[in-house]
Amino acid sequence: MNENLFASFATPTMMGLPIAVLVVMFPSILFPSPNRLINNRLISIQQWLIQLTSKQMLTIHNQKGRTWALMLMSLILFIGSTNLLGLLPHSFTPTTQLSMNLGMAIPLWAGTVITGFRHKTKASLAHFLPQGTPLPLIPMLVIIETISLFIQPMALAVRLTANITAGHLLIHLIGGATLALINISATTALITFMILVLLTILEFAVALIQAYVFTLLVSLYLHDNT
Amino acid sequence: MLQNLVKNVWVPMKPYYTQAYQEIWLGMGLMSLIVYKIRSADKRSKALKASSPAPAHGHH
Repeated sequence: MNENLFASFATPTMMGLPIAVLVVMFPSILFPSPNRLINNRLISIQQWLIQLTSKQMLTIHNQKGRTWALMLMSLILFIGSTNLLGLLPHSFTPTTQLSMNLGMAIPLWAGTVITGFRHKTKASLAHFLPQGTPLPLIPMLVIIETISLFIQPMALAVRLTANITAGHLLIHLIGGATLALINISATTALITFMILVLLTILEFAVALIQAYVFTLLVSLYLHDNT
Repeated sequence: MLQNLVKNVWVPMKPYYTQAYQEIWLGMGLMSLIVYKIRSADKRSKALKASSPAPAHGHH
């Protein structure tokens, strides 16, 4: 049973060849970008959603921060779509892999930090010391702020990985328990099935929320540094 | 096909790739450095484990 639980997180292969790259590129097919003024319903809905999200997310940024609009919107679309597609049975979710999430978190976080140091060096260095700290606490607090800065990309990546992986594992476990309980006691199996339905609804929410949280945090780090 | 790629991808994205994302490219360089360090350390430890035939903990 342990082997079966983690088998869904293995690199997807087709006839022995790893197709992880194809799986990662697949969600982009679902968001076509035609050059028409008036599109069909699907694309109009997608464009309306993107406009709604981008307006809400970019209000806090100044002009320098708004150059990241494309990156932030692509980020939330990618993470949201891969998480949602991963809820289909027998699918592979790239965001369950820590390597993938670190690959997203480290460049973006480093980008915001380097932006801050490049354009507002003094203000960026000043972030290491919160305002109004008493004098004897200053060395320790600088160390703590440095550690908290370097933990940001780790936290971004591990948060996304752990949430999505844990959700998928729970679905596997409870689904397996439901199947095993059918022969033993139908009522308990029904209750477990109800739990499974509720869990799946939760996973839908988690998929979207995690995408939002990731993008929001990157946007917050950007706001600090622009 | 390359001309199509250039016309449809590079030309609209040129200000992003050349100006807006400079720091992200630097971040990607940092990430590739980290990946290289981790991979080489893993390779070194695997080579060490393979080259030393005696087991590390002995038999209890």
